[in-house]
Amino acid sequence: MSITAPPCNLSVQLGRLKLANPILVASGTFGYAREMESLVQLRKLGGILPKTVTRFPRAGNAPWRTVETAAGLLNSIGLDNDGVDEFIRGHMPYLATLETPVIVSVAGKTADEFVELARLLDPVPGVAGLELNVSCPNVSGGIDFGADPAACERVVASVRQVTQLPVLAKLTPNVTRIADVARGAEAGGADAICLINTVLGMAVDWRRRRPLLGNVVGGLSGPAIKPIALRCVHQVAAAVKTPLVGIGGISNLDDVMEFLVTGASAIQVGTANYFDPSLSERLVDALPGALAEAGVASVVDLVGTLRRNG
Amino acid sequence: MAALLHAPYCADQATQRTVTVLENVRLARDTYRVRFGFPELARRITPGQFLMLRLAGGADPLLGRPLALYDAVHDPLAAQESPPPSTAQTSMSSQSPTAFQSPVASQSPVEGQAQTSFPSSASSSPAPNAVDVVYLVKGRMTSRLMHYLPGQTLDVWGPLGNGFPPQETDHLVMVAGGIGQTPFLALAAEHLGLRRYGEPARQVPRVKRVTFCYGARSAGYLAAVEDFERLGVEVKIATDDGSRGRRGFVTELLRETLAEAGTVGSRPRVVCCGPEAMMERAAAIAAEFAAPCQVSLETPMACGIGICFTCVAKVRDDQGGWDYKRTCVEGPIFDAERIEW
Repeated sequence: MSITAPPCNLSVQLGRLKLANPILVASGTFGYAREMESLVQLRKLGGILPKTVTRFPRAGNAPWRTVETAAGLLNSIGLDNDGVDEFIRGHMPYLATLETPVIVSVAGKTADEFVELARLLDPVPGVAGLELNVSCPNVSGGIDFGADPAACERVVASVRQVTQLPVLAKLTPNVTRIADVARGAEAGGADAICLINTVLGMAVDWRRRRPLLGNVVGGLSGPAIKPIALRCVHQVAAAVKTPLVGIGGISNLDDVMEFLVTGASAIQVGTANYFDPSLSERLVDALPGALAEAGVASVVDLVGTLRRNG
Repeated sequence: MAALLHAPYCADQATQRTVTVLENVRLARDTYRVRFGFPELARRITPGQFLMLRLAGGADPLLGRPLALYDAVHDPLAAQESPPPSTAQTSMSSQSPTAFQSPVASQSPVEGQAQTSFPSSASSSPAPNAVDVVYLVKGRMTSRLMHYLPGQTLDVWGPLGNGFPPQETDHLVMVAGGIGQTPFLALAAEHLGLRRYGEPARQVPRVKRVTFCYGARSAGYLAAVEDFERLGVEVKIATDDGSRGRRGFVTELLRETLAEAGTVGSRPRVVCCGPEAMMERAAAIAAEFAAPCQVSLETPMACGIGICFTCVAKVRDDQGGWDYKRTCVEGPIFDAERIEW
């Protein structure tokens, strides 16, 4: 079906980061982008987030690392990666050739480690921004920054001091009041707040009386968590002025539009990259048609236009 | 630690398409062969590579499933068919929960007569435009797929994985347990000089003799043995209950084959696909006879394209350590001596 839509403006501004369109791909669901180049025209995407990088190499968790659940995927990969030095040496030269902004997802065990990662990545050609993964449920340490507003503020502010790169903070939904943590990220100077990382969960084989994941518990993603993510975007949009990036179960164009209307300035396609690898590119192609249907000429005009009931 | 990504390890020839089922026929107990039109995939895929197949338009099951190439064929039906519009353009919006189940999908497909045919000369055949995969019905995806009828659509992406490298040997010994037989028909046809695969078509050394040691639970599960026999493959069968062939483990057939090969002075190579315990045993037997052995791992996968890091297996490195390797892009074919079982 050919979509004829009037010219429209897809660009969005996330603090100091300007993107040609709001369709990004989430860290940990797109490899290092190179794996996807035959399946997706990478230059069409608004932004690419490679798999989270840590200061030192991590082998990751023992299998099983993922379990499919009802409309979802439970994972406990454990930040399997080669460490930042190898990332800069082995992956950045390729990523720097892409026309699409590359936002590097980093995770540290301590605030100092986040700062060191930022220092190391700051001068590297091709790095358009940093996403602080203060919310990975599968490594000890990571989730604490995302659960405590003051700690979140501290880590964002510390990174802010050592780089002029745009800094995004990716938060966990596994907290009582996510808006409080988002306020911390805003106070720390985040250019954007990404909502949400995975929801803690578990899967069990009762016949063998064993947990299915090697790490026992893991993070749930996929369509099953979309309502949780929308709720988080809604609550945080009411609490902060910082632009939001919606993540959680986005699998089609309706999902994208729901997040934009609810208050996200951009979105990340995550688990859907696993089961529909060319989706992100098709979403970029189809977005103008949906904007036309919504009666707006730009993405910006749609963001946060959710009406109250009654 | 984890090795760097190198170009060959990427899914660098893969494309994604919504494809139309051309045939879906029962081959044996709980075992079916589905054929769909997908010219780019059919031309590019090589033996031992796989594709991801997903029931389009639903969230249950959510993920695709990896299925090995059984064969790439030329099907006149695929040639006539105009390519279906991609799911992308026609159904970007969320679908009703039942949309993916066709009203006629509950009928069982008829027992098929469709044959995989092999031209006498590799060069005279028209370019393949359709792909056959053989699957065992055992879960949520396959129990639905078995009811699919010609004309229904699937989402498919591939080719994926490294596939079998050309086998330099005078005697190729293929060992399969159950549904693990599926990668071997194309491998045998290629090495017997009957078919070529890949784009450009790859050259493989001609093998004088191919032996297929095929184990299954019982005779009813043995699928498409005649496809192998038609190629001139020597088929040796073992079943758990003795209902056909030898009663017992297929690995004992491997031992006998290798022992016999030793007496005639050939230098066999072993390729193996099936349950992990069986592959470990086969690898040990091959090592006893100093026969090179490759295994096709069937580690559970989520994406099949190297981005999720689910399907890792412990693979030994040159320094005596091991690292988790992604079976989907760094395998699924590994040298057996590298596997930390």
